[in-house]
Amino acid sequence: MTTPSFGTLSFGIVGLAALVLVAIGPPGPRPVRTDPVAASPPPGVSAGGFTISSTSVDLPIDDGVYPDGPHADVINANCTSCHSASMALTQPRLSAEQWMAIVKKMRETYKAPVVETDVPAIAAYLTAMSGRLGRGSLDDASGHTSSQPAGKDVTG
Amino acid sequence: MDRFDTLLAHATSRRRLLGGIGIGSAAAFAGPGLAETLANLALPGGPSERPITNAFPGKGSMILQRIHPPLLETPIEVFDQDVFTPNDRFFVRWHWAEIPTSIDATTYRLTVRGHVARQLSISLEELLRLPRVEMAAVNQCSGNSRGLFEPRVPGAQWRHGAMGNAKWLGVRLRDLLDLAGIKPGAVTVRFGALDQPVVAGAPDFGKSLGIDHARDGDVMIAFGMNGEQLPLLNGFPIRLIVPGWYSTYWVKMLNDIEVLPGPDDEYWMAKAYKVPATPGANVAPGAKNYPAVPISRMVPRSWITSLSEDQTIAFEAAIPLGGIAMGGDAGVARVDVSADGGHTWYKSVLGPDQGKYSFRRWDARVPLPRRGRVALMSRCTSTSGVTQPMKPIWNPGGFMRANVETTHIIAA
Ligand code: HEC
Repeated sequence: MTTPSFGTLSFGIVGLAALVLVAIGPPGPRPVRTDPVAASPPPGVSAGGFTISSTSVDLPIDDGVYPDGPHADVINANCTSCHSASMALTQPRLSAEQWMAIVKKMRETYKAPVVETDVPAIAAYLTAMSGRLGRGSLDDASGHTSSQPAGKDVTG
Repeated sequence: MDRFDTLLAHATSRRRLLGGIGIGSAAAFAGPGLAETLANLALPGGPSERPITNAFPGKGSMILQRIHPPLLETPIEVFDQDVFTPNDRFFVRWHWAEIPTSIDATTYRLTVRGHVARQLSISLEELLRLPRVEMAAVNQCSGNSRGLFEPRVPGAQWRHGAMGNAKWLGVRLRDLLDLAGIKPGAVTVRFGALDQPVVAGAPDFGKSLGIDHARDGDVMIAFGMNGEQLPLLNGFPIRLIVPGWYSTYWVKMLNDIEVLPGPDDEYWMAKAYKVPATPGANVAPGAKNYPAVPISRMVPRSWITSLSEDQTIAFEAAIPLGGIAMGGDAGVARVDVSADGGHTWYKSVLGPDQGKYSFRRWDARVPLPRRGRVALMSRCTSTSGVTQPMKPIWNPGGFMRANVETTHIIAA
């Protein structure tokens, strides 16, 4: 029952030797990368019954921001360039230490250009935001005393 | 609904992301239309709500985890329809946001360089003329189901949909390496791609395999996915296929293969995607200073897909139950099911074998012990004799969850 499902297909087979390979120049530090083309791309390539067509797409743009709260301005200035705010907003409830470690990782490992003096404010924002998780019903009962806007205030 | 979830749903969705739903309906987040536009991933402690989006090129309805760079999860019901995941529902996962959105197939080149006799620059047409292989294989994110870890861990908060199964068509990596001529002393093969970090000096994404693994004849470079070219978001025009191994190695938009005479000591191999070198990659929550190794082979898993969490059904003495299973780095030998929390197990019937690296359909009939809330489970045993454990593992990366999963239903 563990028969391999792969096998050489019967069509489009040519000997390895028949392949003309273009040698590229002397070894460089890193090969030149294909630049995106601005004009409408050419149709593509075909061989052996398979076609690869040039492709051009538009990716949705994220104009999302971190919701209002103390230091929202600081986090919005520092934490939206590499990835959506949702990367942080979908995280579970994390401790102050865990948030501090994440902000450090962004600076040290991923080279986020965050000035050191902004780090405490960002970590404080995240800790406060994350501390609200899992208290939904409690918040509802307390009559929307939070500094975050209530769900119904948030529209398109 | 938790108000934080509402906020989050808003923050992750934004206006034009709800393609197909319409701008005005963003207001529906606070209203009764909610269930149609949000998925509830039921992650312990939340936040669990995610928008459903149709706004991504080449993609149908997907669970939106992150817009930029895209993280899109496949809804679980897709896996009930076929063992092969349609290209437009296949999950999407990128690390860095500099993703080329326009690719010219006529000028694209794949380089093979480094510790080789002949440096190569291969066009897509040349690639199409090489001997072909086709293989069914599951592509599963290392952190699939991370959102279910307890205690919770940071990272992309997936439920079970960071996986998919496709028929991959392409060429053997071994054939390319042989064309270039591996020099004696080669140790590692590193794979680089077109996507780039947003800031200078940040670690460019790349992964590597040991030379023997790279030459094993199973690892391939795919240009076809379920009979079509790859969607751009799944790595057009070519990606690496590493059957039986986690998706982190399946480098998308592959344009660079570098043979190294030593190990790969760059960030994404040396620091990221490492798991405890313990059985099942399991450590006690909070544990530190344990030996860690790069994540590698997948392990058996199975899911119930015919019924969903908290679904209400009419009580019957026995009910049909179905789903999918994978053996990890081996085939699926059997799947057993239980309706009493794992005390009694019943054998399922396996669907057609699409190859050992594929998903396999299973179907069973299981007696219901009583009316009310019932815990349904499925348990896969691989052809290499590994059975899914009952107990979840824990590690700080949220990698390799593979325990028996439970689906609760209400038999009314
Ligand atoms: C220089 C680019 C960059 C900037 C700026 C940046 N991040 Fe990240 N961040 C990353 C990358 C890369 C990842 C990993 C992404 C992935 O796995 O898809 C990440 C992941 C995360 C995660 C997930 C947890 C983890 O450890 O992977 C969180 C939370 C996060 N970032 C928060 C932030 C916050 C808060 C800020 C502002 C201080 C920030 N990021 C700024 C690059 C950046």
